[in-house]
Amino acid sequence: MAKDRLTEVLIRYEAVIGLEIHTEITAVNTKMFCGCPVAFGGEPNTRVCPVCLGMPGALPVPNEAAIEWTVIAGLATECDIALWSQFHRKQYFYPDMPKDYQISQYDLPFCSGGFVDIEVDGDGVAERADLGGALPFVGPEAVPEDGGYRARIGITRIHLEEDTGKMVHVGGSEGRIAGATHSLVDFNRAGTPLMELVSEPDIRTPEEARRFAQKLRSIWLALGVSDCSMEEGSMRVDANVSVRLRGATELGTKSEVKNMNSFKSLHDAIAYEIVRQADLLDAGGRVEQETRHWDAGAKRTSGLRSKEEAHDYRYFPEPDMVPFSFELAWIDALAEKLPELPDARRDRYIAEFGLPKHDAAALAAEHALACYFEEAVALTGADRARPVANWMLGDLAAHLNAAGIEIVASRVTAAMLAELVGLIEDGTISGKQAKEVFAEAASTGDAPGAIVEARGMKQVSDTSAIEAVVRSVIDAHPDEAASYRGGKVGLAGFFVGQVMREMRGQGNPAVVNEVVRRLLE
Amino acid sequence: MAISSSDVRHVALLARLALTDAQIETLTAELSSVLGHIDELQHLDLEGVQPTAHPLAVTNAMRADVVVPGLERAEALRNAPDSDGTAFVVPSITSPGEES
Repeated sequence: MAKDRLTEVLIRYEAVIGLEIHTEITAVNTKMFCGCPVAFGGEPNTRVCPVCLGMPGALPVPNEAAIEWTVIAGLATECDIALWSQFHRKQYFYPDMPKDYQISQYDLPFCSGGFVDIEVDGDGVAERADLGGALPFVGPEAVPEDGGYRARIGITRIHLEEDTGKMVHVGGSEGRIAGATHSLVDFNRAGTPLMELVSEPDIRTPEEARRFAQKLRSIWLALGVSDCSMEEGSMRVDANVSVRLRGATELGTKSEVKNMNSFKSLHDAIAYEIVRQADLLDAGGRVEQETRHWDAGAKRTSGLRSKEEAHDYRYFPEPDMVPFSFELAWIDALAEKLPELPDARRDRYIAEFGLPKHDAAALAAEHALACYFEEAVALTGADRARPVANWMLGDLAAHLNAAGIEIVASRVTAAMLAELVGLIEDGTISGKQAKEVFAEAASTGDAPGAIVEARGMKQVSDTSAIEAVVRSVIDAHPDEAASYRGGKVGLAGFFVGQVMREMRGQGNPAVVNEVVRRLLE
Repeated sequence: MAISSSDVRHVALLARLALTDAQIETLTAELSSVLGHIDELQHLDLEGVQPTAHPLAVTNAMRADVVVPGLERAEALRNAPDSDGTAFVVPSITSPGEES
């Protein structure tokens, strides 16, 4: 969708967006209410038992670790933790849920009333058409140094429930429900502990929705509660979207958008939905309250009518389980376990290592990157944190991206990057040579020191050796030397290039530069 | 508190119960009687009384996060009306052309 189309709509309409974010607790060994292992994939129906298959007479017993993780997630997002809580049954029929009810929570969730702060910068700022780019704003707090803004997004609740099984639809096109003759059900995932976070409808733009979801993922990863893979479905984001004319006080009718399996899809699906609803209203129509599915290929949402009657879940207290009564001391003990969260980590990187804010935020937001960074800095020294960050966000990021791998699978380990940065900083190799060493290390997994040794790459910083080369280059180019002395000082670059070529790139660029200028004068 | 036959039809649909008209008539009377008893409670002064979901004065029944063996797949699928040997097979859940 054209970006200006969204911006144009958002000048006349205000979007009101709330997110529901389901996250599987992958940190646990076992399912929510039985001792079957929690894992991804595997042969269908090989991690099942009478409890997660919903057999009559089976007794579900809650996993204490999953409840602790949920409370930790709530503490990390400024929630109040319930001192009295319980599970409820939510009744509905769907083949991926064998009991015909889901054990969930209703009016007594473990966590409620939290928030996270998001920062929007770059292109996303333009989506706040109401703010008109005028800083500082009333409401969302401005972050003037980078032209962005900060907004606080409320968290209504985080409750704990059990995940469903997985279905494969057979007989239709491309595994779609439409046209399917039957479906295959795998209950390996059924019963996996699932945290459902419901945000307040505080979100106003697709970019804010994306930043909020990314921020939560970043916090969950720092906690270690989940692997948060949107592709594998361990983190799933649904969006409630409505629009109203600017100045209107009543909310518009909302649609619930599902099936976004990347942050880009989340942004694009909400943007599509805002424009779709605005177009409907502009044409005198009205928005239906419905569930719509995002099709990332076609870049549109479509409604899916089901045979289900309007949702009427008839919640009631789960009779198989007694309530929970939590002591403040127990909650305090869990709060003690909270690790450094991404915002605090970012601020520390700025204060401790002098990293630019953007770099600090990029490293701190991704737990695995932060761990790699800190390991490398511990090895090479805090004074070299900036080059380490530059390498990570530059060559290393480009390499990982091109190879399609995560940093934990990188052949260039934190220790190797630390070694490489050390070789540059102590003048052994130039930045240009370092790029070659990095490329070789990334493909072979060899240590940078060994590569430099094997290729005889040592940088020449010896002034007298460099002077000899510079003299011969100047002698070989008398016309250029005369022009330089006549005022065309830009020719210094030409001489530096010639010298570096003579030295096969091994000259120390700083020394070469200095000697060229000195001898030309 | 009385309930109507249409309430009973609605609840029966939600519970996937196929009831005859005669059954609906009987159940309407019977459920009204049950709810009439619940109505009695509405007359009590329950100010300050916490809703009680369980008669037992027990809380925090949880288990440690330890794997215990489950069912073999063949065993798990044995009672299923239909399976392909690896998965449970269920009828399609929407009819063709329902996607809009």
